Parts: sequence; structure tokens; C-alpha cells
Amino acid sequence: MGEPPLLEIKDLGKRFPARAGREPPPWVIQGLSFAVRPGEFLTIIGPSGAGKSTLLNMIAQIDTVTAGEIVFDGQAVDAHDPRTLRPGVDRRIGYVTQDDNLLPWRTTIDNVLFPIEVQGRLNDETKAHAEMLVRAVGLAGYERYYPHELSGGMRKRAALIRTLAYDPPMILMDEPFGAVDAQTRMQLQADLLKLWELGRKTIIFVTHDITEAIALGDRALVLSRQPARIAAEHAIPIPRPRNVQDIFALEGFAAIYERIRAAIQ
Amino acid sequence: MTELTAPTIPETPALSRKWVVLGGRVLLAVSLLLAWEIGARSFGTIFFAPPLAVLARIGELAASGKLVQDIAATLRVSALGFVIACFAGVLLPFLLRRSPRVTDAVEPYIMATMGIPKYALAPWLILWFGIGDAPKLVVVVLMVFYIVFITTFAGIRAVDQRLINMARIAGASEMVISREIIWKSLLPFFFTGLKVALPRAVSATIVGEFLVASEGIGHYIEHSRQVSDTVGVFAGIVIATTLVLAINAVVNVIERRALSWRPVEREMEL
Amino acid sequence: MTRWRTITDRLIVLVIILAAWQIGSAIVGPYWLSSPWAVTSRFVAQMLSGELVRHSGYTIWESVCGAIAGGVPAVLLPFLLRRHPLMVAILDPFMVGGYGAPKLAFAPLFILWFGIGIESKIALVASVVFFIVYFNTLAGVRALDPKLVQMAQIAGASERHVARHIVFPAAVPYIFAGLRIAVPYAIGGAIIAELISSNRGLGYLVQTGAMNFDTTSVFAAILAATLIVHGANWMVNASERVLLRWRPQTAVMVDAGD
Repeated sequence: MGEPPLLEIKDLGKRFPARAGREPPPWVIQGLSFAVRPGEFLTIIGPSGAGKSTLLNMIAQIDTVTAGEIVFDGQAVDAHDPRTLRPGVDRRIGYVTQDDNLLPWRTTIDNVLFPIEVQGRLNDETKAHAEMLVRAVGLAGYERYYPHELSGGMRKRAALIRTLAYDPPMILMDEPFGAVDAQTRMQLQADLLKLWELGRKTIIFVTHDITEAIALGDRALVLSRQPARIAAEHAIPIPRPRNVQDIFALEGFAAIYERIRAAIQ
Repeated sequence: MTELTAPTIPETPALSRKWVVLGGRVLLAVSLLLAWEIGARSFGTIFFAPPLAVLARIGELAASGKLVQDIAATLRVSALGFVIACFAGVLLPFLLRRSPRVTDAVEPYIMATMGIPKYALAPWLILWFGIGDAPKLVVVVLMVFYIVFITTFAGIRAVDQRLINMARIAGASEMVISREIIWKSLLPFFFTGLKVALPRAVSATIVGEFLVASEGIGHYIEHSRQVSDTVGVFAGIVIATTLVLAINAVVNVIERRALSWRPVEREMEL
Repeated sequence: MTRWRTITDRLIVLVIILAAWQIGSAIVGPYWLSSPWAVTSRFVAQMLSGELVRHSGYTIWESVCGAIAGGVPAVLLPFLLRRHPLMVAILDPFMVGGYGAPKLAFAPLFILWFGIGIESKIALVASVVFFIVYFNTLAGVRALDPKLVQMAQIAGASERHVARHIVFPAAVPYIFAGLRIAVPYAIGGAIIAELISSNRGLGYLVQTGAMNFDTTSVFAAILAATLIVHGANWMVNASERVLLRWRPQTAVMVDAGD
């Protein structure tokens, strides 16, 4: 793959500002570097804690960078000053957060259409696309329901297709399937892969679950403990399309799992 | 000697429960009316106007058109004061939102002046504006303003920052964020304030009319008292209470419609 | 460092307010708008002479008596009816009606019944306080976790024990919420009744001051009333803090005068 990386992280560092009269807190992230190729499904594994979400927040530009550089699509991002942040980088980076953040006063379909509406792209074509996505994740019939009437898994799906609906070139995902039961999670993973196959977007998917990281990703990065940096990188040669339900039985899974688990120790 | 009581209250079948409650309410209402009637007979008509006489008086007022006239006079002032205060009470928090520094600087003074008993300002206002709508209007505006301001302010503070982030990433402009996220998040708080403020606006007007007025329901009540027209006092109070309760009911209906997206929960509020 | 900035910001705002007030007073004349200095000195003078203290005392006494007369039944009723939900249901529309009805509009009626003395003021305050405290206490009693009650019963507690050691402490925050809300209404109610018809109290001072074009007295009395409202709020909050030491700090709710 000779294409230039879509995203480059160079020596990234993050430290939260010191409170009045106190010592500055330790670095959350320090010396973090990696690159992401276009169309790649990258998973990042790390223990639950501030590091992973902070990293994604910086890439999505809803948080400032203390040190280092972020280069997105060939352009260096100026993210040291809160006032110059451009959240979502002109809608080219989507972000599926841990909380579904659905607007409680909008129905499912209106939530899915929210970014499209806000971007002024609401028309028959985009509506049809959104409705297709709703059906694809099994929410057909629930379009007019309010978020509080949906289960946790259903809300996650709605949040997921909300981002997919407006088609940003790169999507960040922060443990989106963390808070649902194992059965639902596997179904969501399968849905996600199915949808990803359709468009092959660039995805950065953060999780603490090694199995999930292997099942979904082309490549898995392991984050160290604070101050976080890339501790290891593992290519995942398991061929696609993958059957998430039987991931344990797939060729090569056990070996990669062991390698990654050992690296985390 | 300790006694173990059953952990749950014994269940009565749902249907008979409904009838018991309904029956109990009717019984209570009838008893209250009877007590009223008995009170009129025992304590004399100076203190208690007989219910039928009160009803008759209300009928007279309705027929002569004075009822409508007085209600209109009271509602005119309440509505105007309410609208002005709502406008200011909603606008100010939105403006303050832009500058946390100004908000911090000004907040203690808003809290301090909120403690001023607004009605105590009435005589001074009468001094300034004379007998007319103005003193009542100012009192109503002040009363409603604080309620709406406090609830709107709390509502804005309570807006979920994560929803705002999500909207920003999706490409929403500041205007859209204000309109869609902040305003909609705000609505439940706003209605809580409204439910309290609207009836208070009316009752504040009525009280203002005690002190100065030539028309309006409050004026009618106080005037009746001054000429020892007990029937009039009772009639006026019944009218005032009915008016305020009716307004309460209307606001509740509007709230249910506007907030239909909310999960149904029992709320206890101001 | 930002703390200092906030403090100086607030001082600046204070100076601006006082300056505007002073200038306004100079423009329209002291009969229409008394100046900050005049009000403060009159306030101090009246405090020292005891006059303000005396009238404040009447108003406070009316509010306190009314608050007790209204508050005590309002707190007791939900506890007594805890095991009789049917009674609560029967009473509900009457309570809601009473809560929604404009009690202050009843002021002339109370004056008619009880005369212009202290009783009418107490009655008014009591009626205002009762409904507010009733609903808040009811919410507190209802919000109780039934598992705690079961635990106590298994351990052998009697009905009275349960009420005193389980239900009451759980309801205390709600009762205080009700008191906090009721305080300004209690004092306001007393003052209104005094404004309409009285020969003592802060409302009386305001009324006579206004009739004599003595805006300085009016403002001094209003200042006293405001301080009383804030003082009462502070006392309610302080006693709540003492009684609820066991509670983790919860988010501060919107609050009059805090």
C-alpha cells in the first residue's frame, strides 16, 4: 500500500492544565506516535482509563494537544489553543462516543438524520440512505420511537448509524459496545463489519477487549499505561469477511491473542 | 412490646380501590360544603357567607358583565407582566452564558436581590406611578422574572456538554446548537418555572390590586371587605381561586404536549 | 488566582450598582429615590433606637408562628398517612387545589375573620406554608426505599421505631427543601398582610413611610426585610447541614438567597 497515511500522530502528548496553586498533573499521553492508512480498520487496545478517550478527543478536535503533532489528510492540525479547535474537522471525522448521546427529544430517524439536517444535505437521497441503514441494523419499525423507549443496544445502533449516515471519511469509535451484554455486543460487531464492508471507511476503534480488537481490526495497537504510548503493534492477518460469532475458531486467532496478551502484561 | 407489621400494605383490588377513592373525595367535598353552610349559620353572616348566596352573587356579577370586566383587568396586567418577565428571564441567561466571568461577578447580586420581598416595593411604586396598572405590573414582572431566570439559568447549566460536542462534530453551527440543543434541553426546566410563575403572576396581580386599583378581582375582594360585604369577599375569592386553578390546568396540558418526548415520571417540584 | 479576579469583579459590580443608585437618587431627588448613604444611616439609626428591631420582631414573630402553625401539621400528615395510601389519594385533589389556590388572595378574608391583629397574619402565613411543606414532605416519605423498612422490621423494630429512625431521616432533606421554598413566602405573606392592614411590623413601616413620602424609611424597612429573608434561609441551610452530616455532597439545587 503506497498511499500516504490518512492520519499521522507524531509524538503526541497530553497533560491537563494545573489547578490554581497546585503541581501540574502527570502526563496522560506522552510520545505517542502512529499512522493510519486510508480504508484501514485500526483497533487500539488499552486498559480502561483516561488515555484512550483523551486520544480520540484530540483527534476529533474537541480537546487540545499539549505536545506533538496531528496530521490529518496531509494537513497539520493546529490544536494547541481551544479557540482554534475545529470539532470534527469539517465533518470529515465522525466520532461514535461511549455514551450514545442521542438527542432525547428526537425520534430515532430524526436522530439519525440530525447531522445530515445540520449540514443542509437533507433530501430524498440522504433520507433513503438513512432508512436503509436503519433497516440494516435491525431498527426497522422503531423509527418514530424516542430514545427512552429503546433498549441500550438499540440506542447504540442508532448512534452508530447516525455517524455512518453522513459518510465522513474517518470514524473514531470509543468503546461503543462496552455497555451492552455479550450477546448484543457480538451482534453489533457483526453489524458494524457488515456496514464497514460496504464503504471501507477508515476506522479507529478503541477498546479494552482483546477479542473485540482482533475480531474487528486489520491492525491492533496496544497502549501502555500512563503516560500512554504505543507499546506494541500487531497486524491481524485473519482474512475477511470474518464471522464474529466464531472468531475463536478462526485460524490464527489464538496465536495473535496470546501475543497481545503477553504484550499487555 | 415490638410488633412486626407486614412489609407491604395489604392490597385492595384495583377496581374497588378506584370507587373508594372517588367516594371518599365526594364525601370530603360534601362535608366541606356542609361545614361551610354550618359555619355561615353559627358564626353569623359577617364571617361566613352562605354558599348559595355566594353562588348567587357570582351569577349577578356574570350577568352584569362586571365579572368579565374584572377578570379581564386582572389578566391584562398579569399577562403583560408575565410576557415581559419571561422575555427578560430567558434572554438574560442566554446572554450570560457567553461570559462566565460576568456571570460569576453578577450572580451574588441577583441572588441577593431575589430575597427582597417584592410586595414590599408596592407602596413605593405607587408613590412613583400613582394608582394605575404600573405598580402592579412592576411587581408581577419582578416576581416572574426571578422564577423564570433561576430555572432557565439552572437549565442552561444542566445542558449535557456531550450532546453539544456531538452536535459540533456533526457540523452544527452555534446558532443551531443554541436552538436545537440548549433550547430543547432547557424546555423541561422552563416549564417547571412557567408552571410556578404563571399562577403567581395572576395571584401577584390580585394582591397588587388589594393595595391599589379601581378594578380587577383583587380590588373587588378588598373593596368588599372594606364595606363589610362578606358575600362579596367570598365570591371574589372563589372567582380568584377558580381562575388560578384553571390557568394551572391549561399550563399542565401545554406542558404535556410540548414535552411528550420525556419518559413519564412523577415529578415533585416547587 | 482566578478567585481574586472573581472577588474584584464582584466588588467592581457592587461599586457600579451603588454609584448608579446614588446618581439616580441625586437626579430624581431624595423623596422619590433615597440614596444608599441615607438608607444605610437611617437603617443603623433605627436599629440602634430599637424601632426597627421592634417592628422586625413583629414580622418575624408572625412568620415564625405561622410557619410552625402551618409547617407542623404539614410534616405530620404524610407520616400519619404513610400506611393509608387511600386517604392520601382521597385528599390529593384537595391538597393540589389548596396548593394551587392563591392563598395571598385570602388575605382580606383572614383580616375579616381575625381582625388586623397578629392572628390574621399568622393564619395567612400558615396557609401558605402548609401546602408547600406538605407536598415536599409527602415526596420525601414516598421516596423512601422500602427495603430499608423491611430490614428494620426484620430486626424487630416497631412501627414507631420505623417512623422515627428510618422514615423520618430519609424525609428530612425533602422537608428542608420545602422549608427553604416556604421561607420567602412566609415572610412575604406576613408583610403583605401588614401592608393591607396593620399597625405594626415591617409592612406597616413600608406603608406609612410611603404615605409620608419618606422613601428612606421605606427602603430601610425593605432592607431589614431582605436581610431577614436571607437570614432565615441561612438558618434553614445551616440546620440542614447539621442534621444531614451523613449525606454525601449532592449538587446544589437552585435556591433562594444562597
